[in-house]
Order: sequence, then C-alpha cells, then structure tokens
Amino acid sequence: MPGELSRAAAIIGAAEANEIGYPATPKTAMQLHVEAIKNVSEQTGIPISRIDGVFSAGWSSQLAEHLGLHPKYIDTTSVGGCSFEMHVHHALAAIHAGIIDVALISHGENGWSARATGGRGTGRPRGAPDPWDPGQQFQAIYGVAGAPSNYAHAMTRHNYRFGSTPEDFAHIAVVTRQWAMLNPRAIMFSKETNPGGGPITVEDVQNSRVVAWPLTLLHCCLVTDYGGAVLVASPEIARSVKTKPVWIAGAGESMGHSNMLEMEDFTATSAAASAAAAYRMAGMGPEDMEMAMIYDSFTITAGITAEMLGLAPRGEGFRLWKDGHAAPGGKFPINTNGGGLSFNHSGMYGMQLLVEAYRQLSRTAEDGVTGLPGKQVNARSCIVNGTGGSLSTTGTLILVAD
Amino acid sequence: MAYTKPIPEPDPVNRVFWEGAKAGKLMLPRCTTCNRVHWYPRLLCPFCHSRELEWIEAKGEGRIHTFAVQHRAFGGWADEVPFVTAYIDLHEGDRMFTVLRGVDPAKPETIRIGAKVRVEFEQASDEVSIPFWRVVEE
Repeated sequence: MPGELSRAAAIIGAAEANEIGYPATPKTAMQLHVEAIKNVSEQTGIPISRIDGVFSAGWSSQLAEHLGLHPKYIDTTSVGGCSFEMHVHHALAAIHAGIIDVALISHGENGWSARATGGRGTGRPRGAPDPWDPGQQFQAIYGVAGAPSNYAHAMTRHNYRFGSTPEDFAHIAVVTRQWAMLNPRAIMFSKETNPGGGPITVEDVQNSRVVAWPLTLLHCCLVTDYGGAVLVASPEIARSVKTKPVWIAGAGESMGHSNMLEMEDFTATSAAASAAAAYRMAGMGPEDMEMAMIYDSFTITAGITAEMLGLAPRGEGFRLWKDGHAAPGGKFPINTNGGGLSFNHSGMYGMQLLVEAYRQLSRTAEDGVTGLPGKQVNARSCIVNGTGGSLSTTGTLILVAD
Repeated sequence: MAYTKPIPEPDPVNRVFWEGAKAGKLMLPRCTTCNRVHWYPRLLCPFCHSRELEWIEAKGEGRIHTFAVQHRAFGGWADEVPFVTAYIDLHEGDRMFTVLRGVDPAKPETIRIGAKVRVEFEQASDEVSIPFWRVVEE
C-alpha cells in the first residue's frame, strides 16, 4: 500500500536554460538559473511571483533575492549531484504539510564557463580548502584530485569482487552515446557538434586516454554548463495548469559517507536504502519500473546504482547496457537524454535527470530531428537516482505519468 | 630534496597521530568502551558514540582493499604521475588512504588486492612525517 506522501505533489513542469553545454561566451550560474526559471514559468503558466518555496543546492537566498521573492520555505541542501532529487523529496513533504503549494527547484552551474573565466560566476566561494578538514589531512595529501581519482577505486574493487571488467562497463558509455545521438542538445550528438561526438565502440572507450586507471576518459562524464528548473506543486494546482503532471509516487534519500575513507563497501551505495524508501512510499517495486534515469558521473556509478535499485542482480548492473536493454529500442530505456557521459554534466547532474524524467513521462521529449526517431519512449513509470560526492549520498524518486 | 607535495597541518583532534608519525609510529584512535579502532580521528567513537578514546600504537601492517593508478594530478603530485593510490585495511581495523610504494604503476595487473603492506614514513618538513605503505609480499 502506498505511503501517506505518495502522490501528495506532482512535478508540473521542467525546463532548461536557453543555452547549455559549451556556450560561445561564458555564462554565470545565475544566468543559467534565471533562463531555466523563466522557461518553466512560461511552460506552466505559473508566474514566478506564485512560487512560495525555493530549493537549490546551496544558493537559495541569493536566488530568491534575485527573483525578488520572499519564500515561506527555503532549502539549500547541497550534498552533491543528488541534491535535486532530495529537494523533490523535501518539497513533497513541505507541500503535504501545507506549508507551501508551489516549489521551485532550480540549478544553474557554469562548469564549462568557470574554466574559461578562472572560476568566475559560479555563485560559490572558491577559497582555499580548510587545512583541518579530514579529507585535506588524510586524502588530499596523497594527490587525489577530483572525482575520477576517487571513483576509480570503486571500479577496481567491483572488478575484483564480481569478476567484471572495465570493458563490461564500457558498454554503458557506448549505449549512452546512442541516446545522445538522438538528442540535438547533447554535446556528443554528432561529429558536427563535437569532434568526439557520434558513435563510439567499446574499443574507443578502452583506448581513450587513461585518467585514473581503470577509468579512461570515455568512462568519465563531461564538464559543461547547465541550467534547469522544475516546479513541484500540490494536486489542486497540478490539475489546473496547462502542462501534464508527473506524480511523485515515491521518494527517499540516504547517505553512506561523506569522505570515501568511510565507504564501507566500494561496490555498493546508499541507493539501496534510498530506493527502498522510495519503493515503499510508492507501493511499487523494481518490476513496476519501465525506464530509469541513473546518475552516470562515471560508468561505474551507473552500473553499481542499477544493482542498488534492484534493476539487476548484484555484480551485474552493467548487463542492462551490455545486453542492449538500456539502449534505444531496448526493453528498459536508461538515460534517454544521453547521460552525464554524452549529453551534459555541469558538476551536479541531478537536475538533468529530473528534466528528462519529466519530459519522458509527460510525453514532451520532443528532441527528434529530421530523419531521427527522437528519444521519446512510452514509459509510464521512471525511477530516478542521483548520486553525490564520492559515491556518498543518494536521492531516489519514483515518478509516474498521469 | 625538498618535499613539494601537500603537507598536512596537525589539528587539535589528530595531533597525537602526527607526533607519532614524526617518531616513526603509526598511532590509531581506539574506543575504550567498545574497543574498536576508527580512522580518521574523531571526537567520539563513530561506532558506539562513547567519548572514552585512547591512542594505541599500531603494528603498521595492513592489506590492500582497493587501488587506482592516478594519471592526472596537481601541484607537486603532477610531477609523479602515474602513481598508485590505495585504501589499506589496517590490521587493527578500519581503513586508511595512501600512495603505495613497491608497485609498478605501468603494470596495474600485477598489483593484488589483499596483498600485505607495511607502513613507512617520509619526512616532509621539520615538523611533519607522512605515512606511506609498501607492498611487502607478492
């Protein structure tokens, strides 16, 4: 039986910034936020002034001020790329409690532009790290820098424990690229959009430059600009707007650790716990899911997460891709936007998951271009899982079409 | 040769660890209530939440839990790529991060999870010595 919060709110719209990926001229994070917010307001017909809850990853007061809002509910949960799935969970609870009825969840991140401008316009301080932070004292001193250097350790352990290989995981990159080739907004859509774009093979993935063995470049996500915004609203409002509601049937969140030093099992994440909570709330199980949007910061992230969500046996998550089920035309589509691997990954990718899940379930995944079938699939349910930090934190949503 | 890589700055919670490292000893925090060793140093036991903690001198032995070969790094470490990072299961319990010695970064297939490792210390400054772990058996 579904829990009390199941379907207590719906996502009523989801939109992106006008220009995402590698903009011709650098953009600020706020530009990316505001473009997406204007777009979702126009899409739904909900005026910005109607928003009474503001949710973002660490930036909600600056954002609300920029919008001239005085929200009744302010959430700045910022625990990595899964923050936005958690925001949906929190908004669901706040709407159910009657505190608010229109929640804005927004993200703007200039991962690409910040590189071009020396870190300007990111909206977050870039001071020197705290030398007394345990991660600085007991990890950074050994030369790890950035996500790939950490995540590589999980691939090694998965290969050791289950007899899997990096080639097995390379199939995730290959299949995800096939989806990107159906999405003109994807960085890797074609050779025209990017010299590295278009189809790739397992050999291409394995022969690309080693970043942190066993991860080569094509096992790793992109670094881009992105702005995205979704509106979550009460059932009454969801029924009154011009867009189709996508119901939040289940939501859950959890964490295993903050620093990878505390990761108990390098082949497992807290997605097992966050998914269990989401399934319980929804009164549904993995067998009821018709597609998935799974955070793919690295191929290993997606493979492990598929196992945690109960979509594949332990040690065999990669098979969903290797056997073709996750691919266009397959029986269980995964990451239909082209993923963080080939579509867009700004740093915290959980918003991209939400926007695509909304488009799929509201039948507005309209990205097909001339001669291409488009990426719309006919799923009526989608499990969405964000992963943040160093396989640290997770937020899971079960979304269903009206 | 001067140590060009990051040098930790001991803080009030872990000072004993770094004093031990300077003297060539691997010191670990242990809870006197549940007797479990934890890493990194805490203000309370992360297992039973007792604040009755002590420092013990560890054997300085462990086994490789998992590893990676870093081909991209910054600052002083950039000069040493590729190098092998690893998580070490400590003899006394819990896990520590390190750069492995006695391994060939060009041949990761020869590095074995479960291999026995022993700690050694490198003097990074007059005040600080840093633990590294070396593979001691094939």
